[in-house]
Amino acid sequence: MNPVTRCSGVLAALVACLAVAACGSSSSDSDTGTSVGAVPETQTLTGKTGGSLKVIASSDVDYIDPGAAYYQFTFMISYATQRPLYSFGPDDAVDAVPDLATKAADVSSDGKTVTVEIKPNVKFSPPVDRAATSADVKYAIERGFKSTVANGYAGAYFGDLTGAKAFQDGKANNITGIETPTDTKIVFNLDRGTGGVLAGALALPLSAPVPKEYAAKFDAKNPSTYGVNQVSTGPYMIEADANGKLTGYEPGKMIKLVRNPNWDRATDYRKAYLDTINVEEGNDDTTVASRQILQGNAQINGDFGPPPPVLKQIVSSTPDQLALTPSGGIRYVSLNTSMAPFDNLNVRKAVLAAFDREAMRATRGGPLLGPIGNHFIPPGIGGFDEAGGLNGTGVDFLKYPKGNLTLAKEYMKKGGFPTGMYTGSEKLLMVGTSGGAAQKSAELAAAQFEKLGFKPKLRLVTQDAMYTKFCNTPKADVIICPNVGWLKDFSDPQTMLDPTFNGKNIVPVNNSNWPLLDNEAINSAMDKAELVVGTSARNKAWADIDRQITAQAPAIPWIWDDSPNIRSTDVAGVINKFNGNWDLSFTSLK
Amino acid sequence: MVRYIARRLLWVVFLLLAVSFITFIIFYLLPSADPAALRAGRQPSPSLVASIRHQLGLDQPWYVQYGRYMKNLILHFDFGYSYQNGTPVRQLIFSRLPASISLAAGAAFLWLVVGLGVGIIAAVRPRTKLDRASMGLALVGISAPVYWLGLVALYLFSSDIGVIPILPGANSYVPLSENPFSWFTSLIMPWCVLAVSFAAFYSRLLRGNLTEVLDEDYIRTARAKGLSERRVVLRHGLRSAITPIVTIFGLDLGILLGGAILTETVFNIPGIGRLSYASIVRSDLPVIQGTVLLGAFFIVFANLFVDIIYAFLDPRVRYQ
Repeated sequence: MNPVTRCSGVLAALVACLAVAACGSSSSDSDTGTSVGAVPETQTLTGKTGGSLKVIASSDVDYIDPGAAYYQFTFMISYATQRPLYSFGPDDAVDAVPDLATKAADVSSDGKTVTVEIKPNVKFSPPVDRAATSADVKYAIERGFKSTVANGYAGAYFGDLTGAKAFQDGKANNITGIETPTDTKIVFNLDRGTGGVLAGALALPLSAPVPKEYAAKFDAKNPSTYGVNQVSTGPYMIEADANGKLTGYEPGKMIKLVRNPNWDRATDYRKAYLDTINVEEGNDDTTVASRQILQGNAQINGDFGPPPPVLKQIVSSTPDQLALTPSGGIRYVSLNTSMAPFDNLNVRKAVLAAFDREAMRATRGGPLLGPIGNHFIPPGIGGFDEAGGLNGTGVDFLKYPKGNLTLAKEYMKKGGFPTGMYTGSEKLLMVGTSGGAAQKSAELAAAQFEKLGFKPKLRLVTQDAMYTKFCNTPKADVIICPNVGWLKDFSDPQTMLDPTFNGKNIVPVNNSNWPLLDNEAINSAMDKAELVVGTSARNKAWADIDRQITAQAPAIPWIWDDSPNIRSTDVAGVINKFNGNWDLSFTSLK
Repeated sequence: MVRYIARRLLWVVFLLLAVSFITFIIFYLLPSADPAALRAGRQPSPSLVASIRHQLGLDQPWYVQYGRYMKNLILHFDFGYSYQNGTPVRQLIFSRLPASISLAAGAAFLWLVVGLGVGIIAAVRPRTKLDRASMGLALVGISAPVYWLGLVALYLFSSDIGVIPILPGANSYVPLSENPFSWFTSLIMPWCVLAVSFAAFYSRLLRGNLTEVLDEDYIRTARAKGLSERRVVLRHGLRSAITPIVTIFGLDLGILLGGAILTETVFNIPGIGRLSYASIVRSDLPVIQGTVLLGAFFIVFANLFVDIIYAFLDPRVRYQ
């Protein structure tokens, strides 16, 4: 789920981030995080049937179309309304369970073929009213490649499908690599042996079936209007009229989920206790919104976390209303390794050694909001422990969370600066996000660089502009990006490291290898690791790569985020640990 | 008068064209996000980015894009589609307009009644305790930021998180068409909060003007003719003192109809203000254009209306 979007652009998030910034490290927790409010390993999944849940959110979903959705909050809705081939039960963020599929995907030993059997009796909501077939899954994935839908991750995980490129370029009318020999069987043929990661990506909403005979007319429009005419296979659907046009969605205002009359409990592992779910958007002031939840006027949070004063209050008085769970994300300050002065490895190591990451973490909320990052695979993702876990990979320049100027100066000397201080006079372009905690982080980061004599020229713009015009655009020649971060797509370490540190993924637009790291050994190791099949082997391979990346010091990791969620006392809330927020299909009223 | 209005209407058209042009240019010159990149997802192929850029019309020179936009707007009243969610901008604007009108109109009524009332009382009782107290309170009202005042009001009076829970709080807005009573109660607090600073400013302004006017010779003449004090103040004094108020009222109302961002934000009222803010943050040019044009439309028409009202308020004003 690229890049970390929890605090994206809207005022609500800015307010939330601003508030979080004040939290500091006031809790009594250790540097390695906290157990206050932590979600138990096994949650209670039984609940009372019926009732209406009120969810409050600050902003809207990114795209209401499940084929374009690429945002945690949107996934929260999508997993309640759609049934991808696989999805994640509440307590397991690592291993997906069969959803539309009947059993685990069969990945061939060479990784070039993935076969999935699907359930024969999962029906679409009205007005389609028929069982979903393998052809519907094929169409769903194909439409993700169309520019009128433009799914954000289709190319990354499904791009090796035979014929995908020809289809995307308009040279073929379907992806030939997706075969549907029967209505209940789908086969994915790949040009390279990347079936392991494709199998993981089948747990994303893109694999949820879409009926072509119904959706094609909407997909022909620019942009596709299927999102506001969508049909569902999950226990819930967005309220719609008899023709399928959504009546329960007003952008930026509300989303109303009602029960899908065609959903059959016998085919699903979801409990779906609630009758209706009302998402009320636009709650920009997260302090007010949080208090409304805590006092029972709303029941759970959607896309925002409680601001620090509220968080502190909850921790001290009603910790049972708080649910903290690792997000599977990391924030870091990227250093442009292709340009001076950070094309010098020792200079990069010096910067990492000097950096006060604890102070950086305090700008977002301190220990309560997550442990300090020491490498690039976050907790909860395969390969985290193998790469060194919370203690890190063992490099000395990340040993000191508050920074160590003496060590930093030693590295500067090794890097060709005899005084231990940077002596260049040029201004280093640094582009950060304006407003809220992000701005505080950027300003603090700028001060950290000055400790070693660098002269950062900090430019603050909106988050979208920071990414699309500057940090995601190599030709913008940005030297430092202080506000970048990455969130897993699913629990495979490749989803964390490949888009962000693989030299072959440096692209002119929407580049996410922000340090522009193009290290031959790392690239080659990634090429091999992409083809590895089997969880433990993949974890080990990517953990080794994580160590190699960390040794190259391309970025300063400073927090592995936890997601804080809150609920009212009348709600039996269940967290989906994969998505880092409430699971609407298991949450119930008390 | 008719010729004057026709001339002003032509100016309105010119102004709206200028505003739309400037908005367009600003979007191009300032470092806003690239809408094609926002839609393209991770590591997109150049062909995908080019295709999206083409579909959004962003591969054309700016003047072609602007020309097409204006053509659709003028010929079809089509504001285009939101880059963010593909929804027609016209639909987005018109679905939010009732909330902004409700908020602005109610607050305007309140601040006019309170502001003018307090201003008149203070002016006819100058240097009394009442005058000092009301003007002191007005100063506080002017100084209190709307956002802060809104939060204080919520923590004091909202039915969900308030200390004295008597009024519906944030997130309680109900459209008038759905439930008039709930619409009214849900807007009481936002109206009051929004009206405070305006009422305070208007009362101070009116007090100053009226105090001056009440010293004029013609007022003395009116009193000498034996007219009642009420008639002197309301009929002769106020009519003259109120003209600057009418001017700023037109502007204020026009601006608020284009969106009261802070009040809408604190109370989660789904109006134009929040829509425009969200579109600016997300570089959603078609929505930005739509909301800016709407705001400009309200402001210029409010001004035109005010100028026409002048002719009725002030007999010296005649439009040729």
